[in-house]
Amino acid sequence: MKTIGIVGAGIMGRGIAYLAALSGFDILLHDLSEDILKQAMQRISSDLRKGVEKGKITSQQASEVSSKLHPRTSLDDFKECEIVIEAIIESLEIKKETFKKLDEMCPPQTILATNTSSLSVTSIASSVGEPTRVVGMHFFNPPYVMKLVEVVHGHQTSERTLQRTVELARQLGRTPVVVKDTPGFIVNRIARPFYGEALRLLGEGVASVEDIDRIVKLEGGFTMGPFELMDLIGTDVNLAVTKSIYERTFGEPRYRPHIIQQTMVDAGLWGRKTKRGFYTYDS
Amino acid sequence: MPSSRQSIYLIGDFMLVEEFGEMCHAKDVRILYRLNSKNSQKPLPAYFKQQSSPPRNASIVVELTNSDSTVKKKNLHLLEKSIPRTTPILSSSVTTTVTEQSTWLKHSDRLVGISGFPTLISQKLCEIAPSIHTKRETITKASEFFFTLGKQVAIVQDRIGMVMPRILCMLINEAVFALMENIASPRDIDTAMKLGTNYPSGPIEWADRIGVKNVCDVLMALQGDLHEERYRISPLLQVMATGQQWWHT
Ligand SMILES: NC(=O)c1ccc[n+]([C@@H]2O[C@H](COP(=O)([O-])OP(=O)(O)OC[C@H]3O[C@@H](n4cnc5c(N)ncnc54)[C@H](O)[C@@H]3O)[C@@H](O)[C@H]2O)c1
Repeated sequence: MKTIGIVGAGIMGRGIAYLAALSGFDILLHDLSEDILKQAMQRISSDLRKGVEKGKITSQQASEVSSKLHPRTSLDDFKECEIVIEAIIESLEIKKETFKKLDEMCPPQTILATNTSSLSVTSIASSVGEPTRVVGMHFFNPPYVMKLVEVVHGHQTSERTLQRTVELARQLGRTPVVVKDTPGFIVNRIARPFYGEALRLLGEGVASVEDIDRIVKLEGGFTMGPFELMDLIGTDVNLAVTKSIYERTFGEPRYRPHIIQQTMVDAGLWGRKTKRGFYTYDS
Repeated sequence: MPSSRQSIYLIGDFMLVEEFGEMCHAKDVRILYRLNSKNSQKPLPAYFKQQSSPPRNASIVVELTNSDSTVKKKNLHLLEKSIPRTTPILSSSVTTTVTEQSTWLKHSDRLVGISGFPTLISQKLCEIAPSIHTKRETITKASEFFFTLGKQVAIVQDRIGMVMPRILCMLINEAVFALMENIASPRDIDTAMKLGTNYPSGPIEWADRIGVKNVCDVLMALQGDLHEERYRISPLLQVMATGQQWWHT
């Protein structure tokens, strides 16, 4: 593989572009408008500058990365790509439309990957004539720091598609894990009780927010407590993930959201990004 | 650290006695112990001194049974009749609340619950759960004891599973549901949780170190206490516990 197409130049698209260019791939980066692409390129340039300042990359590497990134307002050139990674807005309808376009544009051997966190890869694939070439490639934020990639095996994904995607993740210096297309994949699903039980313990009055976090860190050895982590992720995002998994499993009780979550969201206490969540953040 | 060597008496399940004992030994506390089962899984080091009942001058006694409440009751009776009325009894209250345990004793004001659970008991913090009968002095003595071991304490309400064992067992249960549904390999599940969300250990390998049966005991107690489907044990976990089998990851 030499050229990777990336659709969507938001937080994740940019991050994946940065990582892939740094790993020596040519990147076609597409988004809705020239303006958005220009902004994205500026962000990447500033990330590169910071990378050089912090000594994470050399200035030689930085200029190589810049020369490997090619913004594109149309999908026409995407036929050259061996793989296209989609990282647009999290909407099933819009993703399906995008995949239909990619299906028409790209030759049959091009792998079409989605970075979706919460949608069904199988459902996205249903908009493509040959769903065997569709796969999930779930990066974590930020993609060049987080080593994990969940390679998601849709209901009809072929073995070839899966293996090539695993290989690509390795070429990007990531650690791929393979997971069946199920709500929350591995990480978002298995992490549910970390928050869910902590919220129930709080709701039952077993211990305070501060004590639960202290216990989880010092007795459990976790880097962050559940409430600190919910504040970091955003209590709104965390509730949305919980709801999505709960609804997609037709109300499995293990994933049922807690009323405390809803109250936090309703109150606008969304965590660090609003400066207030389970904790208060100054400055 | 105490100037004259402190002695502690441990009674209960092998894994917990071993882990608690090692932690005490590292702080130069003398360990006397008795195990629930005569045939222990492996020999304990020589600094563990076996003794069928606690010495009257033990500064603290600790009951560490989560597996069987009948045995736990017997052990608590033995402790109560062998030590002075004021010696604090610390008792694991992960699968039986300390309030229930206090109904088994004559003098329950010196009984206090602790979060005795494999792989957690040797960490930097111990949860302490008083019952409604526990005297303040007992809580203070228990806390001070943990301070001499270099640990922090957190006082929590008396509830099955306490805080960390409950969260941990539910994480493991979820991971085993995922395994049962064959969504990923045990190794990939562990890798994903360590790299994707920075867990100190993968849930499957963690369960391996705890012992599946010990995880099941907590989940079963939680289900019995809360009667919610959410605490249903993964059938695969149940089978593994019964068959004493596990993945070698
Ligand atoms: N943010 C995270 O932490 C994270 C982590 C893993 C996966 N994801 C997933 O990655 C995807 C993108 O998330 P994000 O956080 O980068 O979002 P974002 O809002 O930062 O970026 C989305 C970008 O997609 C563009 N876009 C929207 N519709 C488009 C279309 N039809 N064609 C081309 N471009 C279009 C938008 O202009 C925007 O620039 C989502 O599927 C999300 O679930 C996000």
